[in-house]
Amino acid sequence: MSTTHSNTWIVGLGEARTAARRDDLALNELAWEAIAPALRDAGVTLSQITGAVTASQDFWDGRTISSMNVNELVGGATGSEAKVAADGTQALAYAAARIEDGDQHLNLVLAHAKESQGDVHSIELAAFDPFFERQLDPDECVLAAMQAQQLYATGRFTAEHAARVVSAFRARSQVLEPLGVEQVLASAATATPLRELDRAPLMDAAAALVVCDDLVADQLAAQRVRVVASSSRTSAYWSQRACIHDAPEAAAAATDALGLAGWSMDDLDVIELNAPYAHQYLILASALGLGDGEQLVERMESDPKLSPSGGWLAGSASGVAGLRSVVDAVARLRESGGRALVHATTGLCLQSHHVVLLEGGAQEASR
Amino acid sequence: MSRVASAIVATGQTEHGRRLDTSMAELAREAIDRCLDSRGLSLQDVDAVVAGNMEMFEGIYLVDQLFVGALGAIGKPLYKLNTGGTVGASTALACYHLVASGRHERVLGVGFQKQSDGSTQAAITTVGDPVWERAVMAGAIGNFASMASTYIAESGVTPEQAAKVAVLARRNACRNPYAHLRMPDITVEQVLESEMLAYPIHRLDMCPSSDGACAILMAAEDVAGDLADRPAWVHSVATVHDQQYMGDSPKRLAVMRSLRGAAAKAYKLAGIDYPLRQLDVAEVYEPASYALLAMCENLGFCAMGDGGRLIDEGIITMEGQLPVNPSGGVLSTNPVGATAMIRVAEAASQVMGEAGEHQIEQVHRALATGYGGNAWTDMMILGDERPSR
Repeated sequence: MSTTHSNTWIVGLGEARTAARRDDLALNELAWEAIAPALRDAGVTLSQITGAVTASQDFWDGRTISSMNVNELVGGATGSEAKVAADGTQALAYAAARIEDGDQHLNLVLAHAKESQGDVHSIELAAFDPFFERQLDPDECVLAAMQAQQLYATGRFTAEHAARVVSAFRARSQVLEPLGVEQVLASAATATPLRELDRAPLMDAAAALVVCDDLVADQLAAQRVRVVASSSRTSAYWSQRACIHDAPEAAAAATDALGLAGWSMDDLDVIELNAPYAHQYLILASALGLGDGEQLVERMESDPKLSPSGGWLAGSASGVAGLRSVVDAVARLRESGGRALVHATTGLCLQSHHVVLLEGGAQEASR
Repeated sequence: MSRVASAIVATGQTEHGRRLDTSMAELAREAIDRCLDSRGLSLQDVDAVVAGNMEMFEGIYLVDQLFVGALGAIGKPLYKLNTGGTVGASTALACYHLVASGRHERVLGVGFQKQSDGSTQAAITTVGDPVWERAVMAGAIGNFASMASTYIAESGVTPEQAAKVAVLARRNACRNPYAHLRMPDITVEQVLESEMLAYPIHRLDMCPSSDGACAILMAAEDVAGDLADRPAWVHSVATVHDQQYMGDSPKRLAVMRSLRGAAAKAYKLAGIDYPLRQLDVAEVYEPASYALLAMCENLGFCAMGDGGRLIDEGIITMEGQLPVNPSGGVLSTNPVGATAMIRVAEAASQVMGEAGEHQIEQVHRALATGYGGNAWTDMMILGDERPSR
């Protein structure tokens, strides 16, 4: 049993300048670059914040309890902070639960990662079974390539389709240069059939939200967007799945969240998808019933509802991508109103799926 | 209070210790199976799973994803928390919030760690700031040695009083079949003569490094009564942090701001004015002998600086006014990802009347704490009466 959220509001948004390397800032300074504008946007100060839920990974930060580094920046010192090791959308869902049960009233949600500081292969290798898989020295790219091979073998999609997704989503990016389809297809081979530019580039990124309950939202002048529902589902570990080129759990999470909200896919004005590899957007979009094959790719290139921010491919970092999409979706809902679905993923081969539904605009402002 | 009253209705633990007979995933599943089997339940009865583990200890990134099958979370929402020594309690609190908010009816929490698979000392050293702290901080021992020195200076507590705490814990553990260090013949002299790790901490003043797992099932008010005869209702929860750097919070162990802050909130919500009288048992996260006395002071069990009296006068023994850690505590068992959840599970078992040989009579209200990271506290108060909303 679950119930819809009825009293969690997003009232502040912030995002650090995302770049391949932010050597000008320490990790906590990068986080603050997202937190400070979120507080300003909400019209509150850090001293009013009583708690936070943060999202980060010890492995990327090279630090056990990675949230300790940002604890004071989110009002955690003498306040209440909890940390999830997943995409920031899970932190948002947990923050909403703490608000819904009356424990918290005005909180920060933060996701941060400085991928430039990590040894990518070593970190990804550590996600594999230590006894049976690590001896093969795999990483996420090798596994994504196996997934792409399976997907392309179905005949529904090709490497060119994935390249077109990269090109279309890069065109929407605020931080990355546009790319032509030919550039993607001509980029260095990584693991067959993947090319270097099929993967979202490694970035340093942080995103923050200020969230609150009804009472606080009523007292703030900030334009609010409601967290209507959220859900998540996790599939089996990749080697225990016969088929890794689909994402039924993404559909299950979306169906559950939509059911809680009483919405259908047709009610959505924005659908933000997130994955680190281009072909995974094809998997996700088809799993969500948005189309298939060439027709789906054409839609992803032209439909303004579909990943208007460009998602992870347009520039973000592991664990930050989903929350950054929430920031982007909330900004759009503030401007034009409507309903949004934000999807995010954690794990190898699209293992965990997080879905958040948001609603903003005139009807929410009058609540 | 919350939207939905919530209760722990089942718990499960592994035998803790050096578990070379099993893998970490199997440890987690052992605890889950014992938790669910105790009520005739299966994984089909679980709506969501919250996992707690410190990944750097065994070096497995995204360990919840690798162990998703063992955790019983395939096809379900799976939350992963990672908050240091507190993580087991943080996981229990997440179970509570997910039920109390009305999002799920039955949430399984599991904390697990297999420290013999990795290097605890190395992993804990990475807790510190890489520039300012790592070179001078030797994992948990150095940290607690520094804090204990301050506590001695502030309170006048003696090494003998701390050693009595270590003895009490290991003797209590003899009644707990799951405990790691069960030492029926341990003496104060043995503690004081054990190797000095870092002044004033002797080897037997410090918690062990264990393999183990613990699970709880948190249920909503509509189903809790059907799942347990005597549910352990959550009366209050609190999380309070301190600052990152030890120098920013002077006298950290003597003046435990996070523990005092959490207690103030949790006691107020639970209607507790006199903890020594109104609590029937406490499971306190004490990584070192000195820490227990300091924590008891800051929890309001006695006046500040009076912690030594609690152990000298037997107030916190099994037969005392407020038994503390009848399970043997962290000093007897410490699989880090599970340790703070064991405090919660033991407190719940006491309320449910299912603690076995270390059951305290007439437990109506129990306290559980978690402690870790930058001196932060998670706290839960459980009781046999369903709280009003």
